[in-house]
Amino acid sequence: MAEIILRGRPIVSGRARGVALVSSKPLSFLGGVDPKTGIIVERGHDLHGKSVRDVILCFPHGHGSTVGSFVLFSLAKNGLAPKAIVNLVADPVVVVGAVIANIPMIDGVDITKIRCGDILEVDGETGLVKVCREG
Amino acid sequence: MYLTKDEERIYDGEMGWAYQVSMRILVKLGELYGARRLIPVESAHISGVSYKTVGDAAIDFLKALVESGGKVRVKATINPSGVDYNYAFFRALPEDLLERQREIIDLYEMMGVDAVLTCTPYYVEPPSCGAHVAWAESSAVVYANSIIGAWTNREGGPSALASALIGKTPDYGLHQPENRQPTILVRVEANLGSEADYGALGIHLGKILGDRIPLIQGLHGANETCLKQMGAAMATSGMTPMFHMNEYGAEHNKSLEKIAVEDRDLVRVYEELSTSDEKPDLVFIGCPHCSFDEIKLVSKLIEGRRIREDIRLWVCTSRFIRGKAEDYVRLIESAGGRVVCGTCAVVTWLKNFGIKTVMTNSAKTAYYVQLLDGVKASLSPISECINVACE
Repeated sequence: MAEIILRGRPIVSGRARGVALVSSKPLSFLGGVDPKTGIIVERGHDLHGKSVRDVILCFPHGHGSTVGSFVLFSLAKNGLAPKAIVNLVADPVVVVGAVIANIPMIDGVDITKIRCGDILEVDGETGLVKVCREG
Repeated sequence: MYLTKDEERIYDGEMGWAYQVSMRILVKLGELYGARRLIPVESAHISGVSYKTVGDAAIDFLKALVESGGKVRVKATINPSGVDYNYAFFRALPEDLLERQREIIDLYEMMGVDAVLTCTPYYVEPPSCGAHVAWAESSAVVYANSIIGAWTNREGGPSALASALIGKTPDYGLHQPENRQPTILVRVEANLGSEADYGALGIHLGKILGDRIPLIQGLHGANETCLKQMGAAMATSGMTPMFHMNEYGAEHNKSLEKIAVEDRDLVRVYEELSTSDEKPDLVFIGCPHCSFDEIKLVSKLIEGRRIREDIRLWVCTSRFIRGKAEDYVRLIESAGGRVVCGTCAVVTWLKNFGIKTVMTNSAKTAYYVQLLDGVKASLSPISECINVACE
């Protein structure tokens, strides 16, 4: 089991441990994630068809409507939210979404160092992400 | 960020969840953008009202705020919805859409929001010049900053709502005088005539400017409608929150980057936005929502004529302006047009009305209806739009 530590900036506090779901593409929550199923439905997105439920969701930043924040709230209410969010650059849509849904969030993280399936430990107090990988 | 004792208590949840979550939104955004404190706002204008654009997710959040006793602390208004319940053709929309839309409006009203349902709240009650406000709705943001002289960042729906509940906004960006200065000089050498030309100019500029603030020279004799169209379009294709303008050769910071706009730039925008030269199903005036003067102009253009049976004419505005312009409204309606309130072609379900092509004098609408509804559009001055709509 190899371990690396990535350093970021804490945005929303809280700790989480879970499996990484990683994209190199910005994600629009409004119209891009179904609040009733947690499935990513944004057309042409590399995570299309994947569920955000209980994963550590890693993507560069959000895009699209500011109302996308509400989608994160609905996901949390429906028990479908990611356990934590790791961004390269925090943008207002995702920050507000993480705040209202109470999802730990860190930005300033080099997400190219994270692969889908890695086990991540995210610390929203210190801004540290521990990446654990098999082999 | 520095918080007062009272603000801290709200942050810690002493006033309940609605205020706590609102305060957290403002503080997190403030930290993100380097604000050092919160400042009071005179008003908030909230986007995220049409069920078509916000969906069920907004209902969940609004409900939670209402259940935890959230009430606005400053004058707060909301953007257009997807329905004008006074017309039978809107009431014929699917039951669930009508109900959900009603629910959203009711939830805002339960929090004490004034349901003006317009993107031009400044016609209902203009903010004071120099006042800090927290406005969402990008066209109103540009209008407030550039034409009225109120100060606002380009808020999103959630942050404007948070400001409405707290009565404050984080002090960063356009709330600070040094960030309101122009950073690029635009010389308009193109010939500008109608309001549609100004809209085309706005679309062109938005693409180039990103979030920079331009000083625009060469807008000779542009009236308020033209500037409203230009600002709305700039904010549609770009992130620009305000513009300045003056005359050619007037004093300006010599070190500003300079760009010029020529006729061919506008021609290119017209070509991009006009994807149909067929007869439109809908002629739409009122994006952003019409002023009293625009309603009056439409009625003058229609006087003595009739709207074709096979074309719908929608003139969209707020219920407030419709009430003030009653005589002109009567003339438009008796000619077969519809003065529709509290919604518009962009935020309602065009497809449900069988509308496949829209003709409009609004560059913003021509841009959005193609993206959001997959309908074809054409951009023309108001006089041309009314000519096409009439027999």
